Order: sequence, then C-alpha cells, then structure tokens
Amino acid sequence: MPSKTFITPSLQAEGPTLEVQFMIPVALEEQYRKASKPIPTPIVVKALIDTGASNCIIKDGIPQKLGLQPNGTIKINTPSSKNHLCYKYFMRMFLPSYGVTYEGEFTATALEEQTIESLIGRDLLQHGILIYTGNANQFTFSLL
Amino acid sequence: MAVLDEETKTYQEHKQELLSKAKGKYVLIKGKEIVGIYESEKDAIKIGIDKFGNVAFLVKRIEEIDQNQNYTSFLIKVG
Repeated sequence: MPSKTFITPSLQAEGPTLEVQFMIPVALEEQYRKASKPIPTPIVVKALIDTGASNCIIKDGIPQKLGLQPNGTIKINTPSSKNHLCYKYFMRMFLPSYGVTYEGEFTATALEEQTIESLIGRDLLQHGILIYTGNANQFTFSLL
Repeated sequence: MAVLDEETKTYQEHKQELLSKAKGKYVLIKGKEIVGIYESEKDAIKIGIDKFGNVAFLVKRIEEIDQNQNYTSFLIKVG
C-alpha cells in the first residue's frame, strides 16, 4: 500500500492537498496512439482531500482543455444549492507522490478557490486511509 | 443542457423497461440507441470509448430514484 506523510505549515488554513496530474483515459490514449493523434499534455493541479465530498470534483474547464466529452450528468447538493446539474467526465488522475494512477468519474463544476482545482472525494477515499495530525501540521494518506 | 439531452430523453423513455430487467446495473446510451447494459460503470464507459471514441455518450446507473452527490465545501461555486 503506497503511503506518504506530508508536512505543511498551511494545513489548517488550506487543508490536506496533493499535487496531481489529469490526463485522458487509457482507452482513449490507445485510440489516439493508433490514429497517430497527439496526446494532450497532462494538466497539473492542486487537489484538496475533502471528506465532505461524496465524489471527486474537477474544476469546470479542465476536461475541456484535455478535449474530453462528458459521459453522464449528475445533480449535486451543496450548502447553497440543491439539484444543481453537472456533467461527469471519465478521467485519469496521476498522483506523482505515490506513482499511482486512478481512473474514474469526476464531476465538473466551478470552484471558488483559484488554487484548488480538484476535490478528492469519498469515492476515492474509500480505497485509502487518511490520518490528519493537526498538532504536527501533517497528514498521512495511504492508498489501498 | 444540450449535450446528452437526447441520451437522457432515451433513458427516460426506456426507464421502466430497464428497471424491470437491470436495476442497479449501468446502461450505455448513444443518441436514441441503448447500446448495452453492464455490471460496472467503468466497463460501460470503456466500451463506449472503444465503440464511439471521444464523443459524448451517456452511462447511467439504472435506479428508480437518481441519487444526488453531496458536498459540504463552500469552494463549489453554484447557484
């Protein structure tokens, strides 16, 4: 199980964040290679591990930068709204700190924060262990 | 929401039939065509990519009442 501990002075203000890379799914990349089409460059973003998110979120605009099309729609509830309709995209997320790739659905929506462009939700967290050690400004995230 | 409108309409038109034979599974729909029913969402999406490439298609869990996703974060900018 890959596991890593991060020490960050801004843990309380910012929350547990990871640098991740978004890419097109493997199946699509194989098609592009066969057709000699250029593979979109991975997009590097900062993702917040968010236990209050039922599912993973990607900032609207990032799937479009990768040229992806939606594979579904979903209604979301937030503190300020209910039944807000969003598109879902099947994407590949690479976690460089772990050398691990996760492929799954990401719900696309606008995000207020300029630096956080993805939320890692409980659909991914169900495969891991998160230990938040606030008094040491550190967190440990392990992936099963 | 223009993209996937046709697929959503197709799902609604066939919802009762799908519920009776495949509740809890995942349906892959392109336009007016129900392409197939699959055990997992990932399987359905990968088959959709293999069959149609990088175009919009609908993969949806077949259930009586659609489940919303829930977020407590104020980072999400909606409404």
